[in-house]
Amino acid sequence: MASGSEEGGTGIQIDEYESLISTTDVELLKRAWRHEKAAPEILQYEGTLVQRIREQIQLMVETVEEFAESGIDPLTVSLYEMDLDRTQFLLRSYLRIRLHKIEKYMIHILKTDLWNRLSEQEQKFAKRCTDDLGKHLEQSVLSRLPDGYKSLLKQSTASEEDDMVSEPQLDTFVICKSKRDLGTFQLDDSGGVPVELLAGNLNILRYKSIKPLVESGQIDLV
Amino acid sequence: MYGREARQLVKELSSGENGQLKAFNSDMVDQVTKACSVHHLELQSLIRKIQEEGLDTQTTRNADHFGALIHHLALIRNKRCLMAYVYNRADSIRNLRWKVGNVLPQEIKGKLSHPEQEYFKNHDTALNLYMSALDLDLTVDFVPPKDPYIQVRVIDDIGEVFLSDKKTNLVCHSIHFLKRNDAEQYISQGLMEELMG
Repeated sequence: MASGSEEGGTGIQIDEYESLISTTDVELLKRAWRHEKAAPEILQYEGTLVQRIREQIQLMVETVEEFAESGIDPLTVSLYEMDLDRTQFLLRSYLRIRLHKIEKYMIHILKTDLWNRLSEQEQKFAKRCTDDLGKHLEQSVLSRLPDGYKSLLKQSTASEEDDMVSEPQLDTFVICKSKRDLGTFQLDDSGGVPVELLAGNLNILRYKSIKPLVESGQIDLV
Repeated sequence: MYGREARQLVKELSSGENGQLKAFNSDMVDQVTKACSVHHLELQSLIRKIQEEGLDTQTTRNADHFGALIHHLALIRNKRCLMAYVYNRADSIRNLRWKVGNVLPQEIKGKLSHPEQEYFKNHDTALNLYMSALDLDLTVDFVPPKDPYIQVRVIDDIGEVFLSDKKTNLVCHSIHFLKRNDAEQYISQGLMEELMG
C-alpha cells in the first residue's frame, strides 16, 4: 500500500522533472557517445535516440524558462540549466565525433556498407565532402599527372584494386568491460590463447576481435 | 628524379608543428609533377623499344622491362607523395574550420594555394548545410561544461551585441558574466579571454 513517491507541493514538481529527464535516455546517449569516441570506425547512427533526446531538450528548455519566470529559487534553476547544458554537450559531441570520422574516412565509407550506418543528413554531407575533396585533388595533382595515373582511387591503371583509399585501423586497442560473464572467448583465428571475459573486468583488446560483441551490446567500450 | 623531390615535400609536411600549415610549396609540387612526366616518357620509350624488338610487352623480362618497371614505381611513389601532401593539408584545412570558424585570418589565408582556399569555402558550405538541416549549431560547446555562465574579459572592442538573454556593450577591458555558448565564438576568435579562478 505504501507507494514509492512522495506527495507534496515541490515533490510533484520534482517527480515530473525526473520523468522529463528520463535518465535512461541520457544514459543511452552517454553510452553511444563513449562508444563512438572509442571505436576506430563509425558506428550505427542512433536515430530514434537522438530524436527523443532533442524533444526532451526542447521540453527542458521550456521548463527552465517557466521556472525562471515563476520565481523558483535561482539555485535550482541553475542546476536544471547545468543539466540541460550537459545533455546538449553530449548530443553535440556525439554528432561532432561522427562528422570527424566521416571527414577522415569519407571515400572508404562511400565504398562499403558503412554507408548504411549514416543518417540521411550525414549521407548528404559525406557525398558533398567527397565531391569537394575529389575536385580539389584533381585540380591540384591528378590533372597534371600522365595518363594512366590520373585515378583518385587507384595508384595507376595497373593496380588491381582501389589501393589509394585510407581505411580505419580496426586492430586498434580499446578498453572494454562486459556486463555479464561471457566465458572464454577466442580472440582471433590465429590460435592465440582464448581470453576469459568476466563481468565488470576491464580488458584491453583489439577492436577487430570484439567487434561482434560490441555490435550486439554485450560489451561496453570505456 | 626517382623520388628525391617528393621526399622533400613529405618532409615539409612532417616538419611543421602539429596543425600548423606552412606556405603551399608550389615550386616543389611543379618539380615533382615534371619528374613524373619525365618518368612517364622514359617508361613509354622503353616499352616501345620492347615492342620494336618484336617481344611481348606483358611477358618479357629483359633489362628494358625492368627499367620500365623502375620508372613506373618511381612515378607511383611520386604520385603517392603528391597526394599525401595535398590530402594532409586538406585535413589541416578541415580542422581549421572547426578551430577558427568560417573566416580565415589573413596570415593563414596567405599560406594556402588558390584551390585550397576554394576547398575551405566548399567545406564550410557543406558543414553549414548539414548543421542547418539538423537545426543545431555544432561549433559551440567544445569543452564539457562546468558552469553555465563564465566570466570573460574583453580584449578587443566589440561594441554592442545581442546575446541570448540580454543586450550588452562589450567594451575593451570590461569584465562580463556571459553564458558559455555566447562567449565561445568570441573566445575562439581571440576577442575575449576566459577568466579562471
